[in-house]
Amino acid sequence: MELNGEQLIAAPIPEVWKGLNDIDVLAKSIPGCEEISRIAPEEIHAKVMFKIGPVRARFAGKLLLSDIVPDQSCSMAFEGSGGAAGFAKGKSRVELKPSEGGTLVCYTTEASIGGKLGQIGGRLISASAKKIADDFFQRFAAELGGEILPLEGSPVKE
Amino acid sequence: MKAAAFDYVKPESLTEALGLLAEAGEDARLIAGGQTLLATLNMRLSEPSILIDITNLSELKGIKLDGKCLRIGALVTHTEIEDSDLIAKHAPLLKAAVPHIAHRAIRNLGTWGGSLAYGDPAAEWPACSLTLDATMIIHGPSGERKVAAKDFFIDLYTTSLASDDILVATEIPVSDGAQVFCFQELARRHGDYAVAGLAAVAQKQGDVLTQCKFTFFSVGATPVMAFKAQALIDGKKLNEQLISDAVKVARAEIETIADLTNSAEAKQHLVGVLLERALKQMIA
Amino acid sequence: MSLKKKITLTVNGVEVTAEVEPRMHLVDFLREELHLKGPHLGCEQGACGACTVKVDGQIIRGCLYLAVQANGSVVETVEGLTKSGALADLQESFMRHNAMQCGFCSSGMLLAASELVEQQPKASREEVREWISGNYCRCTGYHAIVDAIVAVLDARAKGQKIKPVVANA
Repeated sequence: MELNGEQLIAAPIPEVWKGLNDIDVLAKSIPGCEEISRIAPEEIHAKVMFKIGPVRARFAGKLLLSDIVPDQSCSMAFEGSGGAAGFAKGKSRVELKPSEGGTLVCYTTEASIGGKLGQIGGRLISASAKKIADDFFQRFAAELGGEILPLEGSPVKE
Repeated sequence: MKAAAFDYVKPESLTEALGLLAEAGEDARLIAGGQTLLATLNMRLSEPSILIDITNLSELKGIKLDGKCLRIGALVTHTEIEDSDLIAKHAPLLKAAVPHIAHRAIRNLGTWGGSLAYGDPAAEWPACSLTLDATMIIHGPSGERKVAAKDFFIDLYTTSLASDDILVATEIPVSDGAQVFCFQELARRHGDYAVAGLAAVAQKQGDVLTQCKFTFFSVGATPVMAFKAQALIDGKKLNEQLISDAVKVARAEIETIADLTNSAEAKQHLVGVLLERALKQMIA
Repeated sequence: MSLKKKITLTVNGVEVTAEVEPRMHLVDFLREELHLKGPHLGCEQGACGACTVKVDGQIIRGCLYLAVQANGSVVETVEGLTKSGALADLQESFMRHNAMQCGFCSSGMLLAASELVEQQPKASREEVREWISGNYCRCTGYHAIVDAIVAVLDARAKGQKIKPVVANA
């Protein structure tokens, strides 16, 4: 499953970069985040409760950061186990670009979801992942005191 | 596979149910028909500590006509909707939709309220409730509130219901004689999740439709109405050209998203197919 | 957290009292506690129909119904409905049309068919096919099952019986 996107956040790049690396900001931004801790400078562990439709699956996950260029970009490898529900594995790349109004956060993600979640939860996996990513950025922007700005050319939601 | 262990309680009143829900918080799940919930629990995709069985709550039962308003309780089953004379007379769109919902054994237990509360994009009732201008009646810790269907379905599997709310009933304004309806659903096999669907009503005078309500489902994250297509054909004589124009407009205005088996482009194409079929059927 | 609950229900005409874990679904209760092996488990998701039983007169998925929910209810399985004769013409017709091979789906098929002949006595072949599309069969290819049900609808409409396949049955 691929998930690529862009979000325009009304905050300057250094603040956005700082926020993405701040465990406390992440704790409040990740929907359903129950626990999060930095084990090493480039390793984060987290427990997240995913709520999508009837599914309530608690994932224990690991995030490994690499290719870190401060205020610019980094790569992430992640894996999570949802117990009986299934597992998720993937990698992501995040790039910050200056933009009018703030910072453009560009992300690309490749993930595979296995186990039962992948089989019967799989029907709307891409739409669900997109929603989780959208929710994350809404909360993240709110944490930074900024907001999500509409991208030029994107349809205005009624 | 078997569900993980949980406790079970069956409150006698709405107040008691709301109290239990507030107390147990995120660890509780409400069970009504259970046709989605129990499948989820059997697969251990959810492991609540307690199930709160709301099937005894009288406020959630029954189909009543109250003046110009049809009240459908959240606990009304799909089969009850199919068999109801009141529904056949005042909301025939719903009766037409029922046979598309899963299979009989599931319809005998599954509920109107359950389908609305989950807000599955492929579900029939959310789309029908939008088309019929339903108002949801919700009870929570701070009392009763009403939410129009158009404000109720917010995002993928996301409705206005908070985790301590209970959907009690919906109110639907009654249709009068000149209303025509059309329910279309495409699925790979009978009873499967919809690939694309349309719940449509309008007032008809000859081959002119007014007050059109076209809600597409299983094409986006929520049911979506084709406002521009509705406006285009409102009050005009429906000929081949106008139908073709409406199809183009609908395909352009509805943002489709892919699911596991169908691309966004396929869904976009089907939006037009369903609208054309519905329009031709409604003026026939 | 396995606090058991006491339930009392009628199963195939007999009153039963038991203590069950809330998570035990009705078919597991019927099979494991009451040793009624008629209803089968296929998918435990409600899709295959092998678990279909009757509760308070209507067919339901036994895997999507908890034993605790059946407290105070009337439950009927293929065993009870055979004994009462309610399925007699359907069963004869199934035999006559070779509508069973391994038999795994048959209990569910008979239960589903029994509600069809009650609710839609004028069902067409197409409507029969739609009705039983919630019951999966891996052996027969379905046509024989549809033939058997259509034969019962025809016979009932004419006030006739299905001729028994086995004499002195």
